[in-house]
Amino acid sequence: MSLYDSVMAGLALVGNLEAFLSLAIGIVIGVVGGAIPGISATMAVALALPFTFPMAPINGILLLLGVYKGGIFGGSIPAILIKTPGTPASSATILDGHPMAERGEAGRALGMALWASCTADFVSNLALIFFAGFLASFALSFGPPEFFALILFSLTIIAGVSGESLLRGALSALLGLLLATIGLDLVYGTNRFTFGDPNLMGGLNFIAVLIGLFAIPEVINMVWHPTGHVGKVQKLGSKWVTFAEYKRCFRSIIRGSFIGVFLGSIPGIGAAPAAFLSYSEARRKSPNKANFGKGEIEGVAASEAGNNGVAGATLIPLLALGVPGDVITAIIIGAFMVHGLQPGPMMFVLNVDIIYGLFIGLILSSGILFIVGGLAIRGFRPVADIPKRILMPMVLVLCIYGVFAVNNNIFDVGVMFAMGWVGFVMGRYHIPPAPFLIAFILGPLLEDNFRQSMLMSGGSPDILLRGPITWFFWTLTVISIVAITRGTLRAGRAGG
Amino acid sequence: MQLRLGIGAILAAIFLVTYATPNWVSTPSNVRNIVLSPLFWPYILGGLTGLIGLGLALSGWRSDPGEPVNDPIPDPGAGAARLVGFAALMAVTFWVMPYLGMVWTSMLAFLALAFLVKTRHPAAAVICAVAVPLILYAFFAHVASVAIPQGELVRLP
Repeated sequence: MSLYDSVMAGLALVGNLEAFLSLAIGIVIGVVGGAIPGISATMAVALALPFTFPMAPINGILLLLGVYKGGIFGGSIPAILIKTPGTPASSATILDGHPMAERGEAGRALGMALWASCTADFVSNLALIFFAGFLASFALSFGPPEFFALILFSLTIIAGVSGESLLRGALSALLGLLLATIGLDLVYGTNRFTFGDPNLMGGLNFIAVLIGLFAIPEVINMVWHPTGHVGKVQKLGSKWVTFAEYKRCFRSIIRGSFIGVFLGSIPGIGAAPAAFLSYSEARRKSPNKANFGKGEIEGVAASEAGNNGVAGATLIPLLALGVPGDVITAIIIGAFMVHGLQPGPMMFVLNVDIIYGLFIGLILSSGILFIVGGLAIRGFRPVADIPKRILMPMVLVLCIYGVFAVNNNIFDVGVMFAMGWVGFVMGRYHIPPAPFLIAFILGPLLEDNFRQSMLMSGGSPDILLRGPITWFFWTLTVISIVAITRGTLRAGRAGG
Repeated sequence: MQLRLGIGAILAAIFLVTYATPNWVSTPSNVRNIVLSPLFWPYILGGLTGLIGLGLALSGWRSDPGEPVNDPIPDPGAGAARLVGFAALMAVTFWVMPYLGMVWTSMLAFLALAFLVKTRHPAAAVICAVAVPLILYAFFAHVASVAIPQGELVRLP
């Protein structure tokens, strides 16, 4: 079948109202689900899955992909408005999005989040279409030593989110790495800091830690100083993002999109590290780097581009190799199987119409996301106008429900409360929470891949430098560390 | 602040390396290579924490003029009392939830917090305290099929 025939066959599958509606409904569900902290894109996809069983395969899969893409964008809405990321992928959006909301520019931040999300989503979809085979085969050559080198490099992004003090950022990251060791040992299954409590054996729940660290300290700060917000504007604002601002941030958006595409095509990395890496790179390259963390619109653009760039790319290993790139695509692979489809190289031969139908649907999804996202921002507008001393109790209750819903476990609510106090104390000592979170996400991956490498080599560290991929990431790591050290020394000298 | 933080980090590192890791991390007796041991990572992290603490203490000792300070509040005593109250509220919420159920506990927690921060909209707070947990319950229990704890007193449909 020629390319033209394949495209036409795909168009015949999706060129109808039913397919279009499935995609649009999926995006609406995703945006709403992502915007409710605790639901997350993963949960929204899982909830929507049973509803796709009676649908035609292409419509069912389009609906789930719509939920996925909508969910990743939707997470940015509460992240900006109430400093509570709807999904882990939106954690980086908080750093500049919420300070903008505090200045009364939530509308501008949300607008940029939407524009960056749609652009990155479009780039990611194009990457999926053009590079599926190539990138998937590259990702397949990653073993534990390569993953270790990649994650070690990713940890250098901590310098980019450490704010005013690299040492305090590093301390925050170490705390995150330390808390990530709680649970059963990854290799031997022995207890580490579990105190015999079965609730701790699986480690601390990521969502509980995330919400505890970012949302609960806001509530505690309100308790500490209930009138501290008086005089500070917390409204959507009349100012909307302009095309000139979009143009100014375009380089960061495109860079973030490609970071998302690259990390998304490697199974297991996920959208949150992509968002942080994109943010860090944008900060490193931006002429306004001093404003990052204080409400710089380019920071919002970069974070959202990073996490949305992942959305299409995670389908690359799924479609080309039948390997899910993250938890959400693992759920979506279930939908393929329910409909009698087996993702992988043979699908490009046997079900090429579905493959091209999905490609066309995905391209359409960026446009639909733009429309639905714009409406959602206006729909969530009242959140910005709620008095803060009513909003904070709401946030507390929402966090309790959201954290409980992840694992149906009250213990996680306790973890969230405890992390809230950790976050509050960190705030009082000006220790940035973002490095903690990045280290908490990457810590288990780093240790797991390190120890797997050591097991493979019988304890010889030579394996960590075994090939061009590891050399590449080690070189990047060394360059980053040198650049960070030089920057810190220069800043120290400038400060006297 | 930086000096205190550094000293705190050094003390935490000493505690981690000398007490917490040896006592709270179990390792199989047949692990010959320390690199493969479950103890390896916590020891590395403990050592790094000590180094960072040392760096913080040294930079604090040099009395960095750019060290950040917290905004003062008009009533620190009352603020501290509110914090203690909120900590107690969290503890009560956590322990009472299995008995009262998430909905009723959330209503009480909402009200308690709203009045702790002296809301200027008490009527709205009462309405929201009842409505928000009920709406969330309806969504999570009936749409998302999450088994929200019902408690032992009053059960919701």
